[in-house]
Amino acid sequence: MATTLSRREFLEALGTAPLAALPALHTAWPSWMPRLAFSPPHQAPRGDVLVVVFLRGAADCLNVVVPHGEDAYYRHRPTLGLPRPDDRRSGQVQRVIDLDGFFGLHPALQPLLPAWQSGQLAVVHACGAPDESRSHFQAMDLMERGLTDLHGPASGWIARHLASLDTGNTSPLRAVGLGERVQHSLRGPVPVTALRSIADFHLGGDLKAAQAMQAALAKLYQGEGELQALGRETLHILDTLAALDPVTYRSHREARYPDGDLGLSLRQVAALIKADVGLEAAAIDVGGWDTHFAQGASEGLMAGLLDDLGQGLGAFHADLADALQGITLVVMTEFGRRVYENASLGTDHGHAGLMFLLGGQVEGGRVHADWPGLEPEQLFGPGDLAVTIDYRDVLAEVCLKRLHNPVLDQVFPDFTPKMRGVVRDGA
Amino acid sequence: MFLRLGGWLAAGAAASACSPFYVRIAAQVRPAVAWPAAGLEIFRALQRLTFGPTAAERIEAESVGLPAWIEAQLAPMSLADPVADLLLRPLDSLSLEASDLAAWDRDDVIRELRRAALLRQVYSRRQLHEVMVEFWTDHFNISVDKGDCWFLKTIDDRNVVRAHALGNFRDLLWASAHSPAMLVYLDNQANLKGAPNENYARELMELHTLGVHGGYGQVDVMELARCLTGWSVRSRFWRGDFTFRPEQHDQQAKEVLQVHVEPAGQAEAERMLDVLALHPSTADHVARKLVRRFVGESLDRYGELIDRTARAFLDSGGDIASTLRVILQDVSLGQSLEPKFKRPLNFVVSSLRMLDADTDGGPALQDRLAAMGHLPFAWATPDGPTDEAAPWKGGLISRWQFALDLVSGQLDGTHSPLGPWMEAAGPTTPEAWMDSFGVLLLGKEPDEDSRTALRSIASGDEALLVAGLLSSPAFQWR
Repeated sequence: MATTLSRREFLEALGTAPLAALPALHTAWPSWMPRLAFSPPHQAPRGDVLVVVFLRGAADCLNVVVPHGEDAYYRHRPTLGLPRPDDRRSGQVQRVIDLDGFFGLHPALQPLLPAWQSGQLAVVHACGAPDESRSHFQAMDLMERGLTDLHGPASGWIARHLASLDTGNTSPLRAVGLGERVQHSLRGPVPVTALRSIADFHLGGDLKAAQAMQAALAKLYQGEGELQALGRETLHILDTLAALDPVTYRSHREARYPDGDLGLSLRQVAALIKADVGLEAAAIDVGGWDTHFAQGASEGLMAGLLDDLGQGLGAFHADLADALQGITLVVMTEFGRRVYENASLGTDHGHAGLMFLLGGQVEGGRVHADWPGLEPEQLFGPGDLAVTIDYRDVLAEVCLKRLHNPVLDQVFPDFTPKMRGVVRDGA
Repeated sequence: MFLRLGGWLAAGAAASACSPFYVRIAAQVRPAVAWPAAGLEIFRALQRLTFGPTAAERIEAESVGLPAWIEAQLAPMSLADPVADLLLRPLDSLSLEASDLAAWDRDDVIRELRRAALLRQVYSRRQLHEVMVEFWTDHFNISVDKGDCWFLKTIDDRNVVRAHALGNFRDLLWASAHSPAMLVYLDNQANLKGAPNENYARELMELHTLGVHGGYGQVDVMELARCLTGWSVRSRFWRGDFTFRPEQHDQQAKEVLQVHVEPAGQAEAERMLDVLALHPSTADHVARKLVRRFVGESLDRYGELIDRTARAFLDSGGDIASTLRVILQDVSLGQSLEPKFKRPLNFVVSSLRMLDADTDGGPALQDRLAAMGHLPFAWATPDGPTDEAAPWKGGLISRWQFALDLVSGQLDGTHSPLGPWMEAAGPTTPEAWMDSFGVLLLGKEPDEDSRTALRSIASGDEALLVAGLLSSPAFQWR
């Protein structure tokens, strides 16, 4: 990798962005970081921390935010349909939680109500990608790369966002993939490390051996190459996390993260944000949404997944109440599911899905939708919700307004986004 | 040495079936360690054909020549495999039928299946067979976390993947489609007349045969799903066996991939399996995946090889060994092979194999693989653990920790004593150790930069030297 200028030299040569304006911590990183080997086309101060939660397997979005004002919803879903908010034949806990008279939340998402009521949670419904393959793997591939077809760049959209924007941040924790593997959206020219938990991210065992090992690793990973860069980044994260004072990032006492991978991941992201170690983007995966069989309605398989999601996001919202002005969290999924239920009380692959936006500058307390309807003539293909908002409209608006990245044609090539008014400009 | 085995086994059966007994015998059957000679060509080729070549395999391949070694591996049942056989003997669940396994403890069944996979990968002499077992396990991925797959996967592993790994793809596909584990995993037991469940039909075409660009559409998915209505699994008597339920089968005619399918019950989908198995798109899809696994992921560079491989697949009627031979001839040339990043399982197993370590494949090892995101039979989605390098590269810290714990004896049930290596080498110098372990683990002496780094930790500490080598960038590639 040909390093030409260090970022500091680069900025000084341009006479821009006085370093004094940056938090002192972020000037302390060494200049060999490979992300500095190219010159990003645009400079801007850091915007929000972007957190992307990807529901893998195509979540059944019509049962996440329910169009209870649609009679057709109940005709298509005699078993899986969730009772209307005023349906007195069912218990209160089984019914949809009304949001605006037409849409309502699945009852398991009750923990999201505080965020909704404070205007910090928005829903974008009937949104998705143009891809019609109904293949999880092609749809996720395209969505994480931010592309219309497979001919575009192999890198992920978040990776290209990071690469195209110079925020003066050289932290090794600028971007993190939560879990064991790095998500496709983060793969690209900027090396990204997978982090499962801060507590486990150290070399354990005999202290002297671990120290000797760490010293040797620094030398072993000195050379050129992507893996070497990742190794150096890993070592820097080790140092950074080792220097953290656990008191500064402990959870707010009202934040109750659920047990399990999602709760763990959200708690790690919250801790990194509180510790102010330079996090700009984090990706989290939540699996299990491919509910072809016995997905349940108010209770059952999918209600369990939503319970975890609701509790996790609710805890994140409570934990970071003081920092939300600088956070935008996006929930997305590769596509939605068929409008009518199948014979095995599940749903097959469909088309449009939805997105959640959570953050201090979200146009919240609203369902943003250009609702296509659920009557037979309004459905798409074999009986699917039509896509009326491209998911990239939403992400591009977040990039532009919240992440200060105007170079949208690099993030989403060959795509002209429409601003949908889902987030606000400014601080 | 093998002649004495019969006597030991008889004695063992008389005594008890406890596992330490078999471990003790296996230890005596294993050959003593011997340092391999530097020979990068053989080393690189064997890296693709095994889970990381042992010194003994390198010496053997060197002496018989790579082509002969490959031919022997392509006929795995001709190779005696006493060590793996002995170590697997205590794992009773491997030979039971579904209805018996269903009465077992869930965790025990899953743990034994994983243990068997790891022991075979580490100890089996039929390495190419094990590499192909892993390949097809990924291709026909099933997670034990779904429904009754916790015991059905043991049957699938035995009767589908292991039975046909180097056999015929048509037979493999046929066995997989009739495998209760697959039908449960992809919800086909819930695919009923009137409102089909598309899950299995879709993945059968997208992942198992044609590939996502293989020329089928949504209508084909729905029609194939109708052909598969009624393919199910017994839930009471003979629990876990395949069954076809005519009353749940859609009796109307179907049209899949422009093939008109007359009503014929179970035979409808079976006819389509034959069409799919030897479809040109399937040949291309399988060829691409094999080339990616054995050669490298820059598939654009290998168009000609992919075409030749796909042709061999079609010409041989789906014979896997014949198809693989085309690729292995290229691999065995060893010339400028694209480096391939080790996935976590390969990193772990190659460490153990190259160091001639002892492992029980038990909970400690399984926990490490889980933390690396690559525990066998745990991948949730039907695409199987990805064969791309990029997603795995961000997980270096868990590899470094594994290396450190392996050499310092911190892994329950897995040990890598360096004593036998030292004895085999006799008195020597620290610099010579570095060369010897470099040849053992990397195929060659470490370069000057690595030596400088390793000297700083390894002055007089061979264990740390080995941990450093296992953690180094070079060892992460095969």
